[in-house]
Amino acid sequence: MNGQRELYVCLYAKEFPAQAMLRLRPEIREKVVVVMEGEPPFQTVCSMNGKAHRMGVECGMTRVEVDIFDSVTFLMRSMPEEAAARTALLECAGTFSPRVEDQSDRGEFLCVIDIEGIEKLFGVPQAIAQNLLQRMRALGVIASVAVSSNFHTAICHARARPTQTAIIAQGNETLALAPLPIAVLDLSEEHTATFTSWGICTLGALAELPENELVARLGQEGKRLRQLARGELPHLFVSMETEFRLQERIELDAPVELLESLLFVVGVMLEQLILRATSRVLAMASVTIALTLEGGESHVRTVRPALPNNDRQLWIKLIHLDLEAHPPQAAIVSLVLTAESGNTSKVQLGLFSPQLPEPMRLDVTLARIRAIVGEDCVGRAVLTDTHRLDSFRMEPFTISSPQTSYLMLARSSESDKSPAAGRQLRSIEKVVVTLRRLQPIAFEFRNRRYQVECAYGPWLTCGEWWNPMLWNEEQWDLIARADDGDLFCCCLVRDLVQSSWQMVALYD
Amino acid sequence: MPSALTIRLQIEAALADRIPSALTPGPRILRPMMPTGIDSVDELLGGGLPVGALTEMIGAECTGRTSLALSFAAQITRVEKVCAWVDVSNALSPESAAACGVDLARLLWVRCGVASAKQGPQHSESFTLPEKYRVPPTVKKGLHGGGMGSHPRGEAKGMDDAVSGLLRPAVMTARCAESQRNVRAENEVFKPIAREQFTSEPILRSSGASGHGRPWSRIEQALKVTDLLLQAGGFAAIVLDMASIAPEHALRIPLATWFRYRAAAERTQASVLLLTQYACSKSSAGLVLRLTSKDPLNEGTTVLAGFNRRVEVSRQRFAQVSAGPEKVVSIRKPPQRAGIATWRSETAWVGRR
Repeated sequence: MNGQRELYVCLYAKEFPAQAMLRLRPEIREKVVVVMEGEPPFQTVCSMNGKAHRMGVECGMTRVEVDIFDSVTFLMRSMPEEAAARTALLECAGTFSPRVEDQSDRGEFLCVIDIEGIEKLFGVPQAIAQNLLQRMRALGVIASVAVSSNFHTAICHARARPTQTAIIAQGNETLALAPLPIAVLDLSEEHTATFTSWGICTLGALAELPENELVARLGQEGKRLRQLARGELPHLFVSMETEFRLQERIELDAPVELLESLLFVVGVMLEQLILRATSRVLAMASVTIALTLEGGESHVRTVRPALPNNDRQLWIKLIHLDLEAHPPQAAIVSLVLTAESGNTSKVQLGLFSPQLPEPMRLDVTLARIRAIVGEDCVGRAVLTDTHRLDSFRMEPFTISSPQTSYLMLARSSESDKSPAAGRQLRSIEKVVVTLRRLQPIAFEFRNRRYQVECAYGPWLTCGEWWNPMLWNEEQWDLIARADDGDLFCCCLVRDLVQSSWQMVALYD
Repeated sequence: MPSALTIRLQIEAALADRIPSALTPGPRILRPMMPTGIDSVDELLGGGLPVGALTEMIGAECTGRTSLALSFAAQITRVEKVCAWVDVSNALSPESAAACGVDLARLLWVRCGVASAKQGPQHSESFTLPEKYRVPPTVKKGLHGGGMGSHPRGEAKGMDDAVSGLLRPAVMTARCAESQRNVRAENEVFKPIAREQFTSEPILRSSGASGHGRPWSRIEQALKVTDLLLQAGGFAAIVLDMASIAPEHALRIPLATWFRYRAAAERTQASVLLLTQYACSKSSAGLVLRLTSKDPLNEGTTVLAGFNRRVEVSRQRFAQVSAGPEKVVSIRKPPQRAGIATWRSETAWVGRR
């Protein structure tokens, strides 16, 4: 157009509704699959796989007509799944070039990629085409590729030869298009009838027609069709923004209640997500699984390991444990997997660095432990800034990278002393306290009677008087001895709000 | 002149049928140790607690097991290794751990037997205005301005009792001029309040899950968690805190469990610490320490200063024998180790003296 060299790759996938459905259902790919659309009982065939096509199934057939064929698997068309598959393919195309134009029609996927100037990165057009096809196959879609310097030539050729890879050299467009049928041009019914009456069946024949006479009979549309057939029609490339969003969606054929059956589907979806993340040298940092349940409710869970990773087995295990701990309340109708990408984790090992748990393995271990003891009972404790007794919060346990500067301080603070530790009694236990002049002199705890030898206190503490969580306590550190002479050291608290005694800690 | 080596070989060859390799000292296996951070204990144990073995600390409540274990955990986190604390009774105090020098970010704390619903503030008290202080509802009246209440004939019931209650003997005697029998007022005697009366209030606040009740589910959880942590590997120490579990429950754990832990600890080179009240692990333990309580420190008069602790080695499987040929049996009885150490355990709030 402006004198610059142009080069386009057209990527075409026919029977896209069927391909999009079979992409996440590898178990039925080898069967005869027909995709229906419409409201029952007026369902018609909108797409099918190759086997169904060879058996004689055609688009527009009704359910009754298809039923005469043996062992046909019926699927209902799912627009969300198609949209998700289309996004995945476009995003894959976007990894080759930022200039991608989507030309998809109702039942097909078609996009054109401007590959001018990317030879240094991806090699010659032949290599790019092969690479693209390989990536499509990995995504579970069978596609065809045509490379041409003319935008429309590439489209026409890809549509006409959906099983071949064609590289059309510059200047050879007319010759390459000549044997193709005129049906690839999306003609209107009127024009199709006209060309049929003229005996024009191929693009070559159309290209041979004289321009002025054609314009006189068909108007400017005639000129456009002739230019298309000759491979000379210019095109203003409108590139779209390919969105990088790691999302996969599947609508289940029947409601699923068993977790194991669901995980089989999740495994396939994760494989696709990992493939897409890997192609951009990324790893998955978190996966959100949104389940749509029977009755319209939704159940959303997010799994976030310590480090981004692309290990499928690990992800399946983590999702499994999470869903086991938080099971959905009804059968599952559809699910959406959305992943957040992160940088691929690099672990720098050192000869003198201490041995630490492997992050990936630790994630699974922690998830398993959470399943045993409960969600908030595993992690590291963080002290809160308050005077209240036993106030802390739990945070997820992560391993920070070691700093070798501390290694030399290993035995720096050794001495013949150690701080005394307390054991917190978090469940309320019965204690009977005997007072004399407001000081405890004896108490009975766990069916044993103790005489107080020394009582330190009372230490008064109060706070948060401005809200209902106020506390006002009187603490006593007691050294007591049981009847049999055993020493017992404890912290006894008198709640001044409720005027009750409670054993809160033992010094051990 | 034959060299010393030749002579030694000749002697060994001559004695080979009776004493194989008589003059060659046996190979010594140096077992790695991790210091506890308390000099006297480390000296007693020959460097610290064994790495890759099961160590059991036995003792009653308040004998210093937790202090010793936390001191050990502090040493581990100080060298930037990670430690796991499997808390069967949910009794670990993070404040105490931090005071002992444990880096809480490197301590994985697993709290067993805590229902997730019980998280959050434990002393949640809410204040609501009693109904009687609210705006009273409009009084409904019957047809003739009465009704909708108790019947008038019931109003006089119990009036006799009420009046006699008002006319107590003391009130009556004060007004009466005639002489009265002198009734001695009983002295108020201080007695410990009966348990049933006193405990009514605290019991109301308990939410059912008593920590002293059935511990089986908690123990089972803890054993499973310890198994998982040992399998995962990478933890320098795993503390299984059963210090508050009664011996009759702890002893019901099958011995195979401890044997499995010992093997796993050896494989992953983790120190497994077991805090109990009674020896459970038997022969699987590499080291058994028995802690007993001594007197508290009486230096402080206003605050609790700390305690004197005493530890005794009950069993040490791989004691480091002093240098010398092990096969040579001395005629004299070799010097025995004392096997007892003491240390001071000071509270965090006591200043330096």
